[in-house]
Amino acid sequence: MTQAGAAPAPTQSGAEQGGAAASPAQRPSLFSRARWQGVGSALRSPATLSLLPLSLVLLLFFIVPIVGMAIIAFTVTAEDGSTGVGLDNFMALTSGSHSAAIVNSVQVSLVGSTIAAVIGTLTSFCISQIRSEKLDSVVAVFTSVLANDGGAPLAFSFIVTLGNAGVVYGLLNLGDTGFSLYSWQGLVVMYQYFLIPTMIMVTLPTFVGLRKEWREANAALGGSAPTFWHRVGLPIAMPALLGGWILCFGAAFATHASAAVLIGAGGYPLIPLNIGALLGQAGDSQQVAMALGVTMVAIAVITLFAFNRLQRRSARWMH
Amino acid sequence: MDALKHSRWVPVAAVALYVAIPVLCSIYYAVFPGGEFSLRAYSVITEDASLAAAATRTLTITVLTVITLVVTLVPALVAVHLWAPKLRPILEILCTLPLVVPPIAIAAGVMALLGMAARQGRGSVPNAISQFLQNPDLPLILVGTYVVLCLPFTFRSIDAGLRTIPLKAMVEGSAILGSSTFGTIFRVVIPNIRGSMLFSVFFAVALCFGEYSLAATLSQQTIPVWLDDVSSNNFRASVAIAVLLNMTTWGLLLVATLSAGRFAPAGRAARAEKKLQKKTTQKALAS
Repeated sequence: MTQAGAAPAPTQSGAEQGGAAASPAQRPSLFSRARWQGVGSALRSPATLSLLPLSLVLLLFFIVPIVGMAIIAFTVTAEDGSTGVGLDNFMALTSGSHSAAIVNSVQVSLVGSTIAAVIGTLTSFCISQIRSEKLDSVVAVFTSVLANDGGAPLAFSFIVTLGNAGVVYGLLNLGDTGFSLYSWQGLVVMYQYFLIPTMIMVTLPTFVGLRKEWREANAALGGSAPTFWHRVGLPIAMPALLGGWILCFGAAFATHASAAVLIGAGGYPLIPLNIGALLGQAGDSQQVAMALGVTMVAIAVITLFAFNRLQRRSARWMH
Repeated sequence: MDALKHSRWVPVAAVALYVAIPVLCSIYYAVFPGGEFSLRAYSVITEDASLAAAATRTLTITVLTVITLVVTLVPALVAVHLWAPKLRPILEILCTLPLVVPPIAIAAGVMALLGMAARQGRGSVPNAISQFLQNPDLPLILVGTYVVLCLPFTFRSIDAGLRTIPLKAMVEGSAILGSSTFGTIFRVVIPNIRGSMLFSVFFAVALCFGEYSLAATLSQQTIPVWLDDVSSNNFRASVAIAVLLNMTTWGLLLVATLSAGRFAPAGRAARAEKKLQKKTTQKALAS
C-alpha cells in the first residue's frame, strides 16, 4: 500500500518527474509510459481507491436509473419506429386518471401538511413553554423515530383503528359523519402520524432557542407578550415554521407505501400509486410512468430547494 | 395561572394519544380476537413457509446492505476529509439527493433500466445481468437501492463523527506503524466514531425491515410485501406480524437515535460535566 500522505493529484507527480524543464516541447510522447505514470499512480492512490466503491454504487443504483428514467420520459416513438425527443408522454398526464392523480396528490399533501403544520407548531410551542429539558429530549427522540414511520404496518394500524370495522370508528360512530378511511380524508388523517412528529422535530429547537434575553429586552423596553411574539418571536420562528410546512408537504407528496397498502390500486388515484400501477403493465404505459416520475422528482426538488433556503435564513439566529 | 400551566399539556397529551391509539388498537386486534386473549394469530409464524422465506430474504438483504453501506461510505468520507476536501460538497449533494427523489421514482428508474436490459433478448449479457440482479433468492438490486436510500441520513452522521476526531493524526500515526489505509479505517477510525456507526447500522436495519415501495414494485417478497399479500385472506395474521415489525423498527430507530446522541461529543461533554459537578459537590459535602 502506498503512503497515506501520497498526493493524488496527477499534476504534482508530473511536475516532480519533469522538474523545472517541463515545457510542452519536452513532454514525453502520448504513448510513452512516462506520460501516463502520473495518471496511473493517481488512480492507484488511496483517495481514489476509497472513493471508488461509493461512486460506483451511486452511479449504478441512483444516477443511471434517474437519468434513464428522464431519457425514456422525453423519448417519443413515432409510428414508423423512429425515436425522437418530445413531450408526448407528458401530454398524456394532462387528462384522465393521471391528471386526477396530480390534483389529488397536491390536494392531499397540501391539506395534510397544513393541518400538521398547525398542530405541530402548537404542540412544539407548548412543549417549549413547559420548559423541561427531560421532556425536550424525550420528544426529540420520539419525533425522530415517528418521522421515519410509515409503510405497511402504519396502514394496517389505521385500518384496524379507523377502517369500516375499526375500533375507534365504531366507538365514535364515524359512519354517520360520512368519514371514510379509504378516501382523501383517511389519507390526511393517516399522514398526520408521521407529519406532526416531523413538524415538531423541525420547530422545537427554534422555540426552545428563543433566547430569554430577547424576552427580557422586550419587557425592559415596555413590550407585552403579544408585542414580543408579533415583533420578535414569530419573525424569527417563521422560516423554521415555513420550512417545516414545506418539508411536511414533500414527505406527504412522496409517500407511497402506506397509501398503496391502504387504498390499493385504482381506489383513489395519487401520483405514486399511478406510477406503481403503470410499472406493472406492459407497453407504452411504462413511458407514461417515467413521465410521472420525472414530474414527481421535479416537484420534490423544488420543495427541498425552498426548504433549504428557509432553513438557512432561520439558522442565522439560532447560535 | 394554574389552569394556564396545565393547558400547556393539552396539545402534548392529544398528540401522544393520537400516536398511541392506533398501536393499542392493532395490539388489541391481534391478540384479543372476539374479546378473548389468544396468540392464535401468531401461529402463522410456524405454519406459513412463505413468511419464513420472506424473513430470510429480508435478513439477507439487510446484512448485505449494512456491509455494503459501511464498506463504501466510510472510506469515501475518510478520503474526502483527508485528501480531497474540495470534493466534499459534491459528495454531500450526491448523498443527500436520494432524500429528494421519492423511492417510487427510483423504483421507476430501476424498472426502466432492468426492462431495457431484459429486452436485449435471452442469453445476452444485459439480460443475464438483469436476471442476476433480480434473483429472488438474493435480490442485489434491492441491496444497492437500499444503500442509496440510507445515504442521506448516514452521510450526515458519519460526516459529523469524523469531524470530531483528530482524523489526520490517527491515519498518519497508523500509517507510520505500518498499517494500510483500509486497515486504519477499520481498526482505528471506525472504533472512534462508534456513535455515528451505531446510528448508521441501526438506521439501515430499520429501513431494510420496513421498506415497501421498491420491494413491491420489483416484485420481491420481503416481509412488508408479504404483509400486504397475505392481508387479503388472513388479515389478523398480517396485523399481528405488522405489530411485531413495527415494534422492531421503532426499537431499532430508538437505539439509533439514542446512540447518536450518547456518543456525540456534546453529549459526552455534558455527561462529563455532570460527573464533575457531582464529585465537587460530594467533596464539598464531605469536607
